[in-house]
Amino acid sequence: MLVLVAIAGIWEVLVRFSIADVQFLPAPSEIAAAAQGEIFGGELVGRLIHTVGVTALGWGIASVIGVGLGLLLGLSPTAYRYSMTSFEVTRAIPPITFVPAALLIFGFSLKMELVLVIYGGIWPVLINTIGGVRSIAPELRDVGTMLRLSTPETIRKIVLPAAMPSVVVGLRLGLSLCLVLAVVAEMVGNPEGLGNGLIRARQALQPALMFVYVIAAGLLGVALNAGLRATARAFLPGNALKDVSAS
Amino acid sequence: MTQDRASDIAPSTRLYERIRLDSLTGLLPLVLLLSVWQLIGDPESPFFPAPSSWWPALFTLGQGDKIIPAILDTVRTFGLGLLGATILGVALGLSIGVSRTFGRAVGPTFEFARALPPAAIVPVATLLLGFDETMKIVVVVLAALWPILLNTSSGVQELNPVLLDTARSLRLSTTRTLFGVLLPSVMPAIVLGVRVATPIALVITLLVEYLTAVNGVGALVGEAQRTFQPARVYALIAIAGLLSLVVNSGVRFVENAVQRRRVGDQ
Repeated sequence: MLVLVAIAGIWEVLVRFSIADVQFLPAPSEIAAAAQGEIFGGELVGRLIHTVGVTALGWGIASVIGVGLGLLLGLSPTAYRYSMTSFEVTRAIPPITFVPAALLIFGFSLKMELVLVIYGGIWPVLINTIGGVRSIAPELRDVGTMLRLSTPETIRKIVLPAAMPSVVVGLRLGLSLCLVLAVVAEMVGNPEGLGNGLIRARQALQPALMFVYVIAAGLLGVALNAGLRATARAFLPGNALKDVSAS
Repeated sequence: MTQDRASDIAPSTRLYERIRLDSLTGLLPLVLLLSVWQLIGDPESPFFPAPSSWWPALFTLGQGDKIIPAILDTVRTFGLGLLGATILGVALGLSIGVSRTFGRAVGPTFEFARALPPAAIVPVATLLLGFDETMKIVVVVLAALWPILLNTSSGVQELNPVLLDTARSLRLSTTRTLFGVLLPSVMPAIVLGVRVATPIALVITLLVEYLTAVNGVGALVGEAQRTFQPARVYALIAIAGLLSLVVNSGVRFVENAVQRRRVGDQ
């Protein structure tokens, strides 16, 4: 923490006395002033809420689809055999390149942003759920058979808990991806949220304001990650935490 | 602990090991989808042009000769970015791993920088560095750096302390300790980090190109979208997908080769 302060201090001195004369590099004090203005009189809060909302909603939908599809592909060898390669090939296409296609199809809209966030967020959850389900020890499944559990019961009581650590990792990777895609979509497509604020500040040549948005996006990333970790710790039994807490 | 750290940043890649391109039967849904698309898709459709119209769309209006240079541009930015990220990541990772004080000092800063969405760095980079190749590479380095850095630093912390003590008692110079002892023993961790960073570097390369329209496949996709050429957009998406498949299998190949050599050494 001290180092952050020191960096800010050196940065301030360098810019204030024009030792480092980089064009458009605002001093931390200017950024702080811009942040104050933007928080209390400006659009920062509204934009933040928009980005958080879209990210959370998209991530939620993506997680449901990802886990559901992952369970199907993980549990059914037939489904796996007849579709996995398709998923592998599609997954290789970077989600970023779908931004232009989504823009053409949905125009500049919230729908475009949401579709993109959901699409991108599905992959990590899907892949990790499949992996988690497929690596469950066969003995555990045998226990389910022996107890004559129905399929839904087996999934709820045995498969999901056993696959949970892997699923949670997928959820976390998915969440950061969703945030990235939301910001990208806002920068080029849907004119709302943090991404748009960033672009507006850039176009208006207000570097201090731009840094405010960059910092806000970074803090949002940290906060989302910490929130997910705390939730996982609160609701999941011990072994699900190993992967989550190590971040 | 290594397990924890590695699984923390490379959980999905660990699983990719198990999930492979098993069979051609798995291509069925994709083939089906594209066939149906071809049958009911109108080549003139502004949203879903039929797949057969994609390839010709690459060459309409004399744009055919832009494709190869764009791919080369993308590959170059990606390659240089990944190289830069590797060098910087290994250097910082080693410093953090060796010096606890340094690690604790830069920890919060890095935690924050890591959470920054790479897209958010782009406007700042263009403002400070301008629209050029350097800016592209800087953004790629800043995004692809983290897996390499984290894997390297935890790799160092996992090392058997006897190793470094031996180097000290043999009075090896710092340089020799670094290149003779430290680097070779963290090599597997570094390679794992680079493999995780590779797809990130490629995605970010495309992202920067798309956002700034500076050269490369990403810029071409953006241009095709702005000029309303959907078939061209889909064709370029397919090219980006192929590029990513090639790069990823290339990295997997290199990693396997490195591992085999290490096994051979011992």
